[in-house]
Amino acid sequence: MQFKLLAGAAALSLHTPLLLADDSASLQKLIEQVQKLEARSARQEAEINRLRTELSARPASAPQTQQEPVSSPQTGSFDQSTQTPASIPAADPATVSQSATGPLDAPGLQPLNLPGLGQTGTTTAATAFNPALSVILDGVYYHDDRQGGVSDRLAESLGFGAGTSEGHAHGGELKQGFNLRETELAFSASVDPYLDALAILAVGEEGLEVEEAYGRTRSLPWGLQLKFGRFFSDIGYMNRQHPHQWDFVDQALPYQLLFGGSLRETGLQLSWLPAWPFYARFGVEALQGENNGVASYLGPDEDHPAFSDKAGPRLFTAFAKFSPDLGYSHALQAGVFGGRALKHQEFQPGATDDEALDGDSWFAGTDWVYKYDDPRAFGQGDITLQGEYIYRRKDLRVVDSTDLARLGLGHEAAQDGLYVQGVYGFAPRWTTGLRFDTAGLINQVNETGPGEQSLASIQRYTANLTWNPTEFSRLRLQYNIGRLPLDGSKESFNQVYLQYQFSLGAHGAHAF
Amino acid sequence: MYKLLLAFLLAVFVAPAQAAINVVATTSSMGMLARTVGGDAVKVTVLAPPDRDAHYLQAKPSMMLALRRADLLMAVGADLEIGWLPAALQSAGNPRVLPGKPGYFEAASQVSLIEKGEAADRARGDVHPMGNPHVYLDPQRMATIGKALAQRLSAVDPEQAATFQRNAQAFAGQVAAHLPQWRDKSRGVKGVVLNHKDGNYLMTLLGVPVLGYVEPLPGIPPSAQYLSSLVGRLKGRQGVILYTVFQPAQGPNFLAQRLGWKAFRLPLEPALDADAKAYFALIDQWVNAVAQAR
Repeated sequence: MQFKLLAGAAALSLHTPLLLADDSASLQKLIEQVQKLEARSARQEAEINRLRTELSARPASAPQTQQEPVSSPQTGSFDQSTQTPASIPAADPATVSQSATGPLDAPGLQPLNLPGLGQTGTTTAATAFNPALSVILDGVYYHDDRQGGVSDRLAESLGFGAGTSEGHAHGGELKQGFNLRETELAFSASVDPYLDALAILAVGEEGLEVEEAYGRTRSLPWGLQLKFGRFFSDIGYMNRQHPHQWDFVDQALPYQLLFGGSLRETGLQLSWLPAWPFYARFGVEALQGENNGVASYLGPDEDHPAFSDKAGPRLFTAFAKFSPDLGYSHALQAGVFGGRALKHQEFQPGATDDEALDGDSWFAGTDWVYKYDDPRAFGQGDITLQGEYIYRRKDLRVVDSTDLARLGLGHEAAQDGLYVQGVYGFAPRWTTGLRFDTAGLINQVNETGPGEQSLASIQRYTANLTWNPTEFSRLRLQYNIGRLPLDGSKESFNQVYLQYQFSLGAHGAHAF
Repeated sequence: MYKLLLAFLLAVFVAPAQAAINVVATTSSMGMLARTVGGDAVKVTVLAPPDRDAHYLQAKPSMMLALRRADLLMAVGADLEIGWLPAALQSAGNPRVLPGKPGYFEAASQVSLIEKGEAADRARGDVHPMGNPHVYLDPQRMATIGKALAQRLSAVDPEQAATFQRNAQAFAGQVAAHLPQWRDKSRGVKGVVLNHKDGNYLMTLLGVPVLGYVEPLPGIPPSAQYLSSLVGRLKGRQGVILYTVFQPAQGPNFLAQRLGWKAFRLPLEPALDADAKAYFALIDQWVNAVAQAR
């Protein structure tokens, strides 16, 4: 038997070279066959991998009501076989990356894989969409006992000027009854290795508006970042928050009255985060200067040739934020900020007609935030306390008036606003908030003609109750009670809000 | 006064200059692995404390500062930290640790994930379409991640490459040594009810059936009605209920009472400064709890 085998083997070995030499066609056939077999085994391997993935995905997709164990020991043993065995040397980079990419994963969809370093990309759902897209829905039922005119009267009676009465106040004016506030569409992605970009479009009653659209550098050294386009300025704390990030339905009075909403401009920002032992961030911004409250620019036109011309950028701001390291449960951030507008132009009601005023303005303020993060789930026990103070000064001159004697007269306005608020997670997924906001603590208008005039102030108290079923939805009930100066005396007003907010699409992360 | 100013300036500008590789880990299990593989060559900062759910943190200035100074960021990934890490990274202004750069290391990208490819539909709760991110409770996957991490650290500090490899191998060896004992303990176990899908990898490794979840859907707290239906389904069977230190106890306790099972409140993450031993002790804790299910 053995002999026969040996003989056969010898014969074969003798014959083989002959075969190679003689019949290259049959060799070709053999090679083809081997290739076919290889292809088949690759297909089978792919099929096995597909089944494996399906099997390991089963505990999740199986309905919870199923009677049998959701995850069986068999699943376990299959899954273990996909593991890189401990005996394979770590030095083999292919092993490391292979364990992450199955043969069915399209190579184009995989994150960048550096040779020998394993995966460097993220395994996030958002990377599947380019750009990441999210939509925010915001609806409010609103009622007040002033026939919806609270905001208008605020601006008029307090002498805060163009602030809220003109133009679009961000998330501001609400009608009595049902309101669909802005629907936000957010797109974000990396443009290339050097830039990230974000565009947020707000669809409101006035149509589509570019709320924010900016690019931001990714790879500047030394903790520097350059941001350019249209964006919410980084001054203050609340300023750069979108309405869906606010802890209350409406914005605090200092912002409403001094900036006419938030300070949102087109321009550029340079910020610096030094690698110091404590957190500090500094920034300067050069902005076009179009904000109603601090940098209103109307420019000369046919009706009002008296307004002077001034090219942008007309508004320059600076901010600094500091935060000591207080451990994992506490966070405190304090900031100072200021800005100067080279041009501020507005109309003020005069004796018979509106007067045109032209000049400049500046503002300064401070913002404080403290957060306590409780270990309990769903925000229970969490506390946020925050407060901001803003002071604004306008130095204007009458440039057009029906009363010619008033031409050239000075008009200086010094006004301020303040809010403090606290939010407490009193139960899982439930928060309650209290806020006090006021404007006009200082409210002095100094005119060359009539002399100094001290205007009234407004105070408001707010309480709300918020239910967050998940991170993606929110229902909120809010009640404001305030005192508004009207014709020399003060009258109280009441505002009620019922709000819903939903977020669809990519999971957004909010900055501190 | 002058001296004070000088001291301040020194502290400010000299302090960051350190030889060690600055590793920022999002969770303490990632910190443990970085410390185990990196040894003395790394200085580890952990962003999320172990007593908190890493799903639901907020980006804080202290995180941004840590990331600003990081040479390597070690994240769990697969969307676990999506609510806060991107925001913190964005503000940190440190190009070295952005996704796609060698300084960005994501554990979930180094291993195969279970529950991959689920429908990206939030009606099914806080799902992770890229797969279950809780890989850190699977020692075997952690060993694989450790080896990949050794590669990555070697790129940052080539001189120590051999040390990193050795450390990663040693960790893998320890895992392999522990594994039979963990499997022995959990052999013949009837099954467990988890609060969240955070224990799935470990149960798969141990071959222990997951009979259900306290959460009706990931990230959604249970209603009384759902819990009652769960009780109805599991009545008469045997098992244990496992939940973590930061998860609410009401649901698990309710189930435990109605089913007559034991409920165990377990840490999901080792201590902040944990080493491999502390991590294995954590797995021991889970295995011992699982072993009660008979």
